[in-house]
Amino acid sequence: MNTFRKFYTENKERLFGYLLRKTGNYHLAADIMQESFTRYLERYKDRERSPALLFTISRNLLYDHARKNRYDTSYDEEQHGLDIDQENAYQIKEEYKRVLIAMQQLDEEEQDILALAVSSDLSYREIADMTGNSEANIKVKIHRSRVKLKKILQQERL
Amino acid sequence: MKDYLISMFVDNELNLDEKIEFVETVHSNKPFKDETVDLLDQEKLLQTDMVTAMPEVRMPVIRTEKTGLFRLWFAPLAGFATAMVLVAAVFLLRPAPMISPDELQHRFVIYHPDVSKAEIVGDFTSWSPVPLEKIGNSGYWSVTLNLPAGEHRYSYLVDNNRQIADPTVLTHEQDDFGGKNSIINVTAAI
Repeated sequence: MNTFRKFYTENKERLFGYLLRKTGNYHLAADIMQESFTRYLERYKDRERSPALLFTISRNLLYDHARKNRYDTSYDEEQHGLDIDQENAYQIKEEYKRVLIAMQQLDEEEQDILALAVSSDLSYREIADMTGNSEANIKVKIHRSRVKLKKILQQERL
Repeated sequence: MKDYLISMFVDNELNLDEKIEFVETVHSNKPFKDETVDLLDQEKLLQTDMVTAMPEVRMPVIRTEKTGLFRLWFAPLAGFATAMVLVAAVFLLRPAPMISPDELQHRFVIYHPDVSKAEIVGDFTSWSPVPLEKIGNSGYWSVTLNLPAGEHRYSYLVDNNRQIADPTVLTHEQDDFGGKNSIINVTAAI
């Protein structure tokens, strides 16, 4: 079955997972998810359903959003920690807030490729294509991001 | 040392040669093994449920050419369709054998002589397609399903997953995905 509903059902949680891990912001992630499926349906409804295309649309929307709002992902962690706590108090599970706050401390590229690797179910090949890396490069970068996240989480525990 | 093999292992990206290298390194190198376990634990944490509720997504309604096609074949077949409602009603009135007391048998019938495949999707199939059987060379397709009493939404898929509403059912609704669903109310036959 090739209907959009199936495509939507199969991908909404992955896409939302990526967007939330990337932004740490429930409402922003929800808005971008809405816009991504809408664009996909409006512009590519006759094309073969491609999760990679869906994620590409979402990434582009995130970058547009960041440009428009001069949204700086590297702003200081104290402020961001506060953001996650206040803005998403009810929607994000308590134990996960810690993970999201740690994710926000990665630099933007690390955050992006790790969120893709963890959430999207896309292959390294697809993630490499999407992010403009070689396949040899992407595996090193994904691993480096994981190790860095581990260090951040460990520091927070101390 | 190829530390990144750990992430490739976590993400199921290792080929056979890399798997050999990975297993041998895990056995011979304790820090590598410890790092693997740590990152697997971290991955469990990363992959746990993040939210208490998923946000809703509203889909825009997209017009497709199917409205035209629908009208083309609908007009000459309206009579047939009405007849089929009666046929379906007759089937419904038969005592339903061996089904749970909360479920009712319902026979779905469409006339589509020029397709090679017809399926039904609905809330009662969890929106997974269930095939209809061709009734000889009559052009009719049918399937009998057990449904709980109450209101149900469904539509048919014919060839290449073209979604069509049931022409024998008057109540329709636009779904959130650019398609049209039929609505029926299944009640117990007296």
